[in-house]
Amino acid sequence: MHEYAFFLGCIAPNRYPGCEAAAIRTSRNVGIELLPLKGASCCPAPGAFGAVDLRVWYAMAARNICLAEEMNRDIALICNGCYKSIYEVNERLKEDDELRDEANEVLAEIDMEFKGSIDVYHLAELYYDPKVCGVEKIRESVVRPLDNTKIAVHYGCHLLKPLKERRFDDSENPMWIEALVEAVGAEPVQYRNKMQCCGAGGGVRGFDLAHSLDITNEKLININEAGADALTEVCPFCQLQFDRGQIEIKEKFGIEWGIPVLHYNELLGLAQGMSPQELALDLHAIDCKPFLDKVL
Amino acid sequence: MAEEKKQPRIGVFVCHCGTNIAGTIDVESVKDYAATLPNVIVADDYQYMCSTPGQAKIIDAIKDHDLTGIVVAACTPRLHEPTFRTATKEGGLNPFRFEMANIRDQNSWVHMHDPEGATAKAKDAIRIAAAKASLLEDLYPKSVPVEHAAMVVGAGVGGIQAALDLANAGIKTYLVEKNPTVGGRMSQLDKTFPTLDCSQCILTPKMVDVGRHPNIELHTYTEVESVDGYIGNFDITLRKKARGVMSQDEATAKGIVGGGCNGCGDCAAACPVIKPNPFEFGMAPRKAIYIFHPQVVPLVYTIDFDACVKCGLCVEACGEKKAIDLEMTDTFETVKVGTVILSTGYDMFEIEKKREWGYKQFDNVITSLEFERLICASGPTGGHLIRPSDGETPMKVAFVLCAGSRDNTGVGKPYCSRFCCMYSLKHAHQIMEKIPGCQPYIFYMDIRSFGKMYEEFYYRIQNEGAKFIRGRVANVLEDAKTKNLHVYAEDTLLGRPVDLEVDMVVLAAAVQPTENIDPVRKMFGVSCSQDGWMLEAHPKLNPCGTTTAGVFLAGVCQGPKDIPDTVAQAEGAASAASIPIHTGKVELEPYFAQCLEEKCAGCGMCISQCPYSALDLIEKDGKQVMHVTEAKCKGCGTCGGFCPGGAIYMQHFTTPQIVAQIDAFLLGGEQ
Repeated sequence: MHEYAFFLGCIAPNRYPGCEAAAIRTSRNVGIELLPLKGASCCPAPGAFGAVDLRVWYAMAARNICLAEEMNRDIALICNGCYKSIYEVNERLKEDDELRDEANEVLAEIDMEFKGSIDVYHLAELYYDPKVCGVEKIRESVVRPLDNTKIAVHYGCHLLKPLKERRFDDSENPMWIEALVEAVGAEPVQYRNKMQCCGAGGGVRGFDLAHSLDITNEKLININEAGADALTEVCPFCQLQFDRGQIEIKEKFGIEWGIPVLHYNELLGLAQGMSPQELALDLHAIDCKPFLDKVL
Repeated sequence: MAEEKKQPRIGVFVCHCGTNIAGTIDVESVKDYAATLPNVIVADDYQYMCSTPGQAKIIDAIKDHDLTGIVVAACTPRLHEPTFRTATKEGGLNPFRFEMANIRDQNSWVHMHDPEGATAKAKDAIRIAAAKASLLEDLYPKSVPVEHAAMVVGAGVGGIQAALDLANAGIKTYLVEKNPTVGGRMSQLDKTFPTLDCSQCILTPKMVDVGRHPNIELHTYTEVESVDGYIGNFDITLRKKARGVMSQDEATAKGIVGGGCNGCGDCAAACPVIKPNPFEFGMAPRKAIYIFHPQVVPLVYTIDFDACVKCGLCVEACGEKKAIDLEMTDTFETVKVGTVILSTGYDMFEIEKKREWGYKQFDNVITSLEFERLICASGPTGGHLIRPSDGETPMKVAFVLCAGSRDNTGVGKPYCSRFCCMYSLKHAHQIMEKIPGCQPYIFYMDIRSFGKMYEEFYYRIQNEGAKFIRGRVANVLEDAKTKNLHVYAEDTLLGRPVDLEVDMVVLAAAVQPTENIDPVRKMFGVSCSQDGWMLEAHPKLNPCGTTTAGVFLAGVCQGPKDIPDTVAQAEGAASAASIPIHTGKVELEPYFAQCLEEKCAGCGMCISQCPYSALDLIEKDGKQVMHVTEAKCKGCGTCGGFCPGGAIYMQHFTTPQIVAQIDAFLLGGEQ
């Protein structure tokens, strides 16, 4: 068993609890144990906090990292926004003495110190990494392959960019989440402009909803054109934008897509035999029934 | 070595360098401190030590105070050591009695926010220098004769120009080129900006000249194998790659009367093997026996032995000329030259690494060099620009500038490639001229039209109707049905996204140093900048030289530049390379290792340590002792540090001198 401190984030537990449940239960079946990271706060959201004051962003993220350092475990998380905050702050504070001292000055008030003793991973990259899990192990864990379904993959920006602050080689046409989708028996479909933003991140959703939905709609047009039965992603904020965004697009532009949006954890949960109720799929804004009818 | 010991008498001079030094360092207190140091007889300061009055201070002090050593605390030996050595000499001392303390570049400039620390550091530096100056000895430079010949590596337009200049100056010149023909990148271009001269038309006369100049010995299809020696006496071994075809001269030397390749091409007509022609970036076929293009120099065919099936049809077709030898192997030749010019040029950055632009994914995304071949009358399409996907004439073409240049993502290159803006303007002009109604769209970050008449050319293209969109292209997508391309960018002047459908996209790819050039660079002892370009001795005052004496640079191998700048640098390099040759001798700095024969055990440990192959063992008075070839020795001290018996004496960096410096630093001057 590889043990990680599980950083939950906000959106998954609050909006898509099935995503959280699936992460904990599915990872166990492939040799990963996610331990609760007690006392964690918001990551904090890079767009919202970083845009206002970077020092707050550094200090809050550093506090979350310190909690995992105290557990002596690397962090695993399931959200690209959290990944940007926690991974990037961890790397920057490790490299930049001045920044680390500044953060530690704040942390000292609550008797904490950032040491830089752990690493931060996205659960999806651990699933793909053969040293920890690997595609084969995922394939072996499947009891109910998602045969005859076409799934479009959305990576999300903060996972892969900026390229020079990440350890992924390709931010323009990556294929590794497609490999994970293939491992659960579905057919990943390529669609135009796959790497475009979901429309939500960077504070765009909060600042200018119409603009943000316009970007989302552009993606949905392309995903629909590719004939996808569902969309999968590895970021609950992208999930929120695509899922609830479709309702907002219907209200604002009068276009109805009806494309189910599932976090990869939820897909893997389905493939490992979890029921839609266990995955709380009824809490999704867009009905997953057409997709489930194909699978169950 | 050991001279009559006389109590050292040192003079210390502290320079203000305007406010460069005096603005940070308390020169007055540093000077007063210097006067208290052991052996220091006189301490002085001056506004500009390098000025004539500043130097006069040194000359007068030597005479007035009978000094034995001089310390100047100022900028850096790289800048002014020769100046102060000359002054020391004029004062009547041996020039090597001078020692410099760097209190500017490595002190006041970097510590400008810490005057107290900088002042303390300056005192340390002067204390250390004065300690060494007390122990300096007279040294006498040696001079070595210079071979009356030069070598130019790389025969693009820079190498050709440099070779012609050297040859016209009466110097025997070896021009070495790895390809079967001279001409380089310029041969692949259609027109040149801003005059729109045909590139081949202005280059071929020079190609022809190098081919027949009596002072130029042309070595095409040849690479540098190894380099030995030093300025004035480089022994360079060349690998003449197996060409499979003899020139007429080679045939004559073998006694084949009237034989050798005359370029008739009968062999290629007979050859059954068809391969893509790399000169045309694979857009045209060539045979296994080939020439790049009709104007090659020398006009001798070459066999691509990786493709050749050795069927022998070409040998038959060649007939009486007997030019072809299918069993030819690489041969080696060593030549001796006095100086070397490297002009090894550039390659294109592998723009497919920037996946967002779809090169090698979409048919109709091409690079600018491919565009040059497609628009060129002697190119694969006879000068008709066509879309690779369907052969149609494109009516809307997007040019992506800074494709991989000025790129801080870590994928591309951080620098500006310098000539892409201009050639893309030229390309825009060419399509508007050749295809009526064809619309070029230029996506740019900045248009850098920096040269003479370049800005005017830029306006001309604007007036001709090219559309300019300021914004870097985010990505390029293909419409699977039509094979048209969608170019997405932000128009940063309008602050709006752009989605433009075009027939063809041309990527102005960044340039990078020639592939596999590093081994050659290292053979000649030339360093490189962070980006891999060869490093000049000084970016402003010695742009053609390198840190290796006798090795010079020309053209893009030193950094991106256009044809005029390349030719200008080539002429500069040729001039610089001819100076030692015409002088006939070079002076070597006398920092040689010396063998103390009474201590040397002849173990030979030092020989394998020497990076310059300057050492060997000789028989002397019945025992083996180490011997130094002084001209090869660079005074690095590796052997001296390694010698188990302490038998090696490093002139100007003797053990007592270095120990005195360390003591002076650690013990605050008490020795």
